[in-house]
Amino acid sequence: MTQTAHDWPTLLCDNARTGGQAAQPWRAPGRSRWQTNVEGGVRGSPVLLGELLYIPSLAGFLNAIDIHSGRLHWRFKAPAAIPSTPSIGADRILFGCSDGKVIAIDAVTGAKSWETAAEDEVWTSPVVRDGAVFFGSADGAMYAVHLETGAPKWKSALGGRIYSTACVAENRVYVGCGDGNVYALDARTGQVSWKTATGNGIDCSPALASDTLLIGSQDFFFYALDAGSGAIRWKYEAELGITSAPAISGDIVIFGCKAGTLHALDIRTGELIWKIRTGEAITAPPVVSGTVIWLQAGITFAINLSDGKLLWRAGMGNSLHSAPVVTKQAVYLAGMEGEIYALE
Amino acid sequence: MEVSDERSIVANRVSQSIVRQMIERGMRELTGEQDPRLAWSKFIQPKDIVGIKINPSGAPACCSSPEIVREIVAGVQSVGVPAHNIIVYDRYAYEMDIGSYQALVPVGVRVTGVQEHKLDVSGYDPDIFCEANFFGEWETRSYMASIVSSGVSKIINVPTMKDHSAAGVTGCLKNLGYGTFNNVDRSHRRPFSFTDPLIGIMCSVEPLRSKAMLHIMDGTRMLWHGGPLNQNPDFIFPAGLIMVGTDPVAMDTIELEKIEAKRSKEGVPSVWSRDPASLTNDGGAFFQDASKNLFYRQPHHIEAAGKLGLGISDRKKIEHQVIRIA
Repeated sequence: MTQTAHDWPTLLCDNARTGGQAAQPWRAPGRSRWQTNVEGGVRGSPVLLGELLYIPSLAGFLNAIDIHSGRLHWRFKAPAAIPSTPSIGADRILFGCSDGKVIAIDAVTGAKSWETAAEDEVWTSPVVRDGAVFFGSADGAMYAVHLETGAPKWKSALGGRIYSTACVAENRVYVGCGDGNVYALDARTGQVSWKTATGNGIDCSPALASDTLLIGSQDFFFYALDAGSGAIRWKYEAELGITSAPAISGDIVIFGCKAGTLHALDIRTGELIWKIRTGEAITAPPVVSGTVIWLQAGITFAINLSDGKLLWRAGMGNSLHSAPVVTKQAVYLAGMEGEIYALE
Repeated sequence: MEVSDERSIVANRVSQSIVRQMIERGMRELTGEQDPRLAWSKFIQPKDIVGIKINPSGAPACCSSPEIVREIVAGVQSVGVPAHNIIVYDRYAYEMDIGSYQALVPVGVRVTGVQEHKLDVSGYDPDIFCEANFFGEWETRSYMASIVSSGVSKIINVPTMKDHSAAGVTGCLKNLGYGTFNNVDRSHRRPFSFTDPLIGIMCSVEPLRSKAMLHIMDGTRMLWHGGPLNQNPDFIFPAGLIMVGTDPVAMDTIELEKIEAKRSKEGVPSVWSRDPASLTNDGGAFFQDASKNLFYRQPHHIEAAGKLGLGISDRKKIEHQVIRIA
C-alpha cells in the first residue's frame, strides 16, 4: 500500500500494526521506566505521536500521557466510552465512541476539531486516506467523512454489524461484517464492488498484501481473497474463531486465534510456517517490529518472527484488543484495568 | 423439553439452521402452539423490553452459542418487539467481548455488560441487595444489576451445560443468580463454597424471580469437567441438545443428571464427591485432570432452590419430555 504522510489506512496504521513506528532491533525490556493508571478500563490500543501517548478509556477519556514522565498531559472527555483504537490523521487524533460519535481532536492541545455520528456504537478505528475518514458502526453501515471537517461524504448500509476496522486502498474500502461477508466498497461512492461470504460473522480487521486481502472469520477460517474480485485464493482452518487482526511481514501473515494459538502462514500459499500456543484466547492484533512479534494475550509476549520461538514474556498487559507501541526508547503497554507501562 | 439433534454441532461448529429447528420445536412443544410466533407470544408481548441473559464465562470454548442467541432474538422479534428493545447481557463486558456477541447479533439489538472491568460497580442498583456473611468478609452485600431491576421487563435465560468447580453444575440457577449480583466470589474460599444456598436465595430476589420466565439451555456443547472457565477440549463433549422450559430447578436437575452420567462414563469422581484426596490448589492441575477439584462441590444448591419455591427438584415429579430430531 502506498500512503501519504497524512494517511492511516488500516488498523494501527500499517500492515505490521506498528502504529506508524519504525522497526526496532530486538532488545528485551529490562525495567519499567514508569507505570500509571488511567480512569476506566482500556479496550483499544494506545497510539503515539511525538512525545504523547494517546490512550482511550472506557470511562470516556482520551488520555494524552507524556512518554518521558508518564504524567497526564491533558485528557479529553468524550460523551461516552471509547472502545475504539485511535487513529492519527493530519495532526488529529480520531476515535469512535459507544454512543455512535466519531470525534477528531487536535493532537497537541486536545481541543475538539469536529464530531460526526453513526446511529449505533463505533468500536472500530476510523481510518484515513486521501483526505477522507472511513469507519464502520454497529448500525450496519460504513461511513466516509471529510478529514478536515467531518462533513459526510457517503454512507453505505451493509448486511450486519461492523466491528471490523476497514482497510483502505487507492480506490477500495475493505471491511468484514457481522453478516459473515467481506465487503469491498468503492472508496469514492461507498457502492459495493464485491462481497464474499464466510461461514459466520466477522469482527476481524483485514490487511492488504499487494493484491491479496487477508481476514479471519468466526467460522474458524482465515481467508486470502483476490482484492480485485473477492475470489477465495486459499483458506486455512484454525481451532476456533479469529478476531485478531492479521499483521504482515514480507510474505508472512501472523494472526491469533481464540484457542490461544498464534499462526504464521505463507501469504502466497496459505501453508503453515509455524504455530505456537500462548495460553489465553488471542483477540488482539500482533505487532511486528523488525524480527520480533509483540502480542498481548493475558500477558505480554515477544516472539521470534522466523520460527515462533518465545523471546520474552511478562505478566502484565492483560488485554483483549490492545497492542503494544514499540519504539527505540521503550515499549508502551495498556492493560484492561487501565494500567499503563513504559518498559525499557 | 429436551430437544436433541446430533447435527446441531459438527466439527465444533453450531449449525444455525439446525438450532433454529430445535428451538422452534421446543417452543411449540412447551406451549402446545403449532405456530412458533404464538409460542413466543405466550411469554413475550410487543411492549416488553427483553433481556437475554447469556453465559459467556467459558468463552470462547464453551459459552452460550451466538447461533442460539440469534434464534432467540428472531423469536422475540417475531411477536413485534423491536430490535432496540432486546438486550443481550451478562455481568462482564470483557467476557462477552471474547465471545464476539456484539458483532454476531442483528443490527439494533443492544449488547451490554453490567461491568466493563472487575472493579466497575456503576451497573448495580444500590437499593436491591442480598446480605450474608460467609467467611467474615468486610463487604457482606451483593447488589443486583440495574439492568435486571429496572432495565428490562422480561428475561430469557440462556445458560450453558457445564460442570462447576464450586456449585457442582452451572445451569439456569447459577447463570441467573451469580450473573445478576456482584461481589459473589466471596462465597467461595477453597475448598469451601456457599453456593448452596446463595444461588437459590439470589434467584428468589424480586424482580429477578418474576422477570426470568423462560429458560433455554444451550447443551450443544457440554463441559463435563473444569467449569466454568476450562478451555480444555478434552472435557468438552458435543452433546447436541437444547433444553427449553419454565422451571429452572427442574432443568438444572436434568442437567446435573447428564453431567453425572458423563463423568461416570469417563470414570471420574461424582460431583457429589467429598473425598479430600481429590482436592487441589493447583489451578493448572484442575484444568487438566478430571479427578481433581478446587472445592467441595455444592450440587445441593438445586434442591435448596426448590425448597425456596423456585421449582421442582424431585426427579419423579419433573415432566421431562425428550424429542430426538436426528
